[in-house]
Amino acid sequence: MKALLAALALTTALGFPAAAMAKPVTFTTTLNDYGGNGAYLAFYVTDANNAYVGSLWMAGGKSKYYQHLAGWFQATGGDTAQVNGITGASVGAGRKLEITLDLADALFDAGYTLHVDAAVEDMRDSPNEIVVPLNAAGAGQPVKGRRYIADFSYGM
Amino acid sequence: MKKTLTLLIATTALTAAIGIPAWAMLGTGSGSLPAVLQSSEGAAPLVLVDDDEEDDDDDEGNRKLRRAGGGEDDDGDDDDDDDDDDDDDCEAGQAGCGGAKNPAPAGSVAPPSNGLFGTGAPPKVQVN
Repeated sequence: MKALLAALALTTALGFPAAAMAKPVTFTTTLNDYGGNGAYLAFYVTDANNAYVGSLWMAGGKSKYYQHLAGWFQATGGDTAQVNGITGASVGAGRKLEITLDLADALFDAGYTLHVDAAVEDMRDSPNEIVVPLNAAGAGQPVKGRRYIADFSYGM
Repeated sequence: MKKTLTLLIATTALTAAIGIPAWAMLGTGSGSLPAVLQSSEGAAPLVLVDDDEEDDDDDEGNRKLRRAGGGEDDDGDDDDDDDDDDDDDCEAGQAGCGGAKNPAPAGSVAPPSNGLFGTGAPPKVQVN
């Protein structure tokens, strides 16, 4: 019985720190009424040296169009494994996309930058339409896009 | 042997039944085909009406003009537009489609192990 209680205490102690190392973060992306089809959006992160770290979300499920998300495509070579399990539908003009992800605490206030590429069928590609540093001070601050994205913000 | 002979006679009779009347028509010159082939002093020269190669080139050019495709309606609860491409009916996660494999949709597999995600709740998405 004592051994069982000790084991339970140990696993609980190990579990709590892990839970505290990540938190839910919501990305809110509002698109302009650009008068076209649904937009493909790629959300990905680079480090302080501008080196690609990983992807956070892909709005748009057909990989043959990913070449038009030029920043993401150049960083990943179009590797779809980078967005397995984090892919959803593309987003229509004028709509608002809210994504809530469980992200590691180490991602914030550590020099990481979030990039958002956008592309729309038969319209110009817009790589790096949103580029924001990931830090506590930037949470809740809307950032304007230059073509398809009206504004973007993240909340913790 | 008898069966073979019977079959041979039957096919010969069938061919004769079909072929002889057609042959007779050609011989009398009463069909439209012989009249066209007959040369006459007033015959018009042949004119090329269409060039298939040009059409193919135009099709190629039109396909190249299309850029990124937006929208597929394979997610029931997310906003999207129709994708009217006729050469890709692949859904996310399907292999062997157009050469490249589409990624697995959210919720079907765990997020990639890139060090960015915690081990908590799976991604949630909402479009308003």
